[in-house]
Amino acid sequence: MALEKELTVYKQKLPELKGQEGKFALIHGDDFIDTFGSYEDAMKEGYSKFGVNDPFLVKQIQAIEQVQFISRFVEPCELRRSV
Amino acid sequence: MTAQGPILVAYVGVSNARRVALVAAKQQIPNPIQVRALVDTGASGTCVDPSILKTLSLTPTGSATVNTPSTGSTPHTADQYDVSIIVPGAGPTHAPLNVPNLPVICADLLPQGFHALIGRDILSLCLLSYNGTTSLFTLAY
Repeated sequence: MALEKELTVYKQKLPELKGQEGKFALIHGDDFIDTFGSYEDAMKEGYSKFGVNDPFLVKQIQAIEQVQFISRFVEPCELRRSV
Repeated sequence: MTAQGPILVAYVGVSNARRVALVAAKQQIPNPIQVRALVDTGASGTCVDPSILKTLSLTPTGSATVNTPSTGSTPHTADQYDVSIIVPGAGPTHAPLNVPNLPVICADLLPQGFHALIGRDILSLCLLSYNGTTSLFTLAY
């Protein structure tokens, strides 16, 4: 599955990030790179550091992850159950 | 307004952040793709069909926890992709609605006759008016 390693790093790092709720974390493989004030800044840094072919994760820091709701009957891609 | 609801034409392209990186890498920038998009106040985030994301040669750069009627009571994790979305203005003198860097949820939408759901993340930038008596809607920004 895409970005599983990065998501694991994010979850492990989350307790240390409580003071940065709302910011955006940039993670590449096993490495937590940095946090950024905006999605755009995190994405720019991710592409600058890793290029267009090397996967990276940008995730908004939330102590309790906000669930996205879609009221239509759609299948999210690559869905897997949340732990 | 269509039988499916308030559908508009939009263009989905690579995000501005990715575009800059493609230029730096001297790689071709995919042309934005014209899509049929349903304005959906029931979607908290904008969704795009995987066929569009594949055509743009995109891979996931995020993940979202999603609850839909198909996922039941247990939220699922869905891939997110960074894109740009442009909604053309009503005429040649009207500036488009341009969202240059937007994380979108990948969702199978094509079987329902459209490529994208315009969710409340984009609608938070707009004023939406839905007139059922005339079957017209207006998206102002």
